[in-house]
Amino acid sequence: MEIKLEKINDITLVTLNGDLNMDNSYRVRETFKKILKEKRAKVLIDFHKVPFVDSSGISLLLEIVQSFGKANGRMCLCHVNKKIISVFEITKVHKLFNIFDSHEAALRSF
Amino acid sequence: MEAFVPWKGKEIVMESGEGRLKAQVIIDESIPSRLHLVPVFIASAVGKLGDLQMGEDTVFDLKLCLHEAVVNAIRHGNKEKSELPVHVVIKTENNEMIMEVTDQGKGFDFSRIPDPTTKENIGKLHGRGVYLIQSAMDGVKFLNGGRTIKMVKALKTNT
Repeated sequence: MEIKLEKINDITLVTLNGDLNMDNSYRVRETFKKILKEKRAKVLIDFHKVPFVDSSGISLLLEIVQSFGKANGRMCLCHVNKKIISVFEITKVHKLFNIFDSHEAALRSF
Repeated sequence: MEAFVPWKGKEIVMESGEGRLKAQVIIDESIPSRLHLVPVFIASAVGKLGDLQMGEDTVFDLKLCLHEAVVNAIRHGNKEKSELPVHVVIKTENNEMIMEVTDQGKGFDFSRIPDPTTKENIGKLHGRGVYLIQSAMDGVKFLNGGRTIKMVKALKTNT
């Protein structure tokens, strides 16, 4: 899993590259803890290079939603593939994630 | 030895009331209960499934369900005791993909799994694995006192 970070004003854009699963969720979790520690509570995660998510990946995203929400921030996702969207919909967590088709639409929502 | 047993695919022919049924065993392996081995095992298994020319959506579902079942077997069945193996059999039979994952634990009562999509459970961080399997597969059975999960997916061309 490659993780790329960019700052766009007060929003942190995180681009993930690889499966989001049990194997790498620890490393991704630590990255988001670090972002929150820097008091940057608005985060946009770009999923265009994420082909697969398992239940550990869903748990991790829920953790991020909850921890950033507690810090008066927000997590958004963009460019999520249709199979991952369907996994979110099956488990109904799509209601808790803010999912957008593009960077622009997601950035405008903050 | 930590590595899983190398794949030895084999084709078997069974007699049934309707004639000869062809079954292809794709994987018949045991892996130690070590979570860090799971991604390599799944990648290897999915590589072999890819040879069957299934559609991307089907491969995604099979990968997801195999991953969830093996992790559950290691974590909840074998309690991550590395000396206890998880046995995985994947085969095709009559246009169906059948995946069986067996652990050495005390068994599992699937009727007691809470629905993770209810208002009180939706924000919980765990408890979605079996629900995802039941949603993505066409049939799921718990056998052997709950130590074996049998997952069935109808095979369609390129879907």
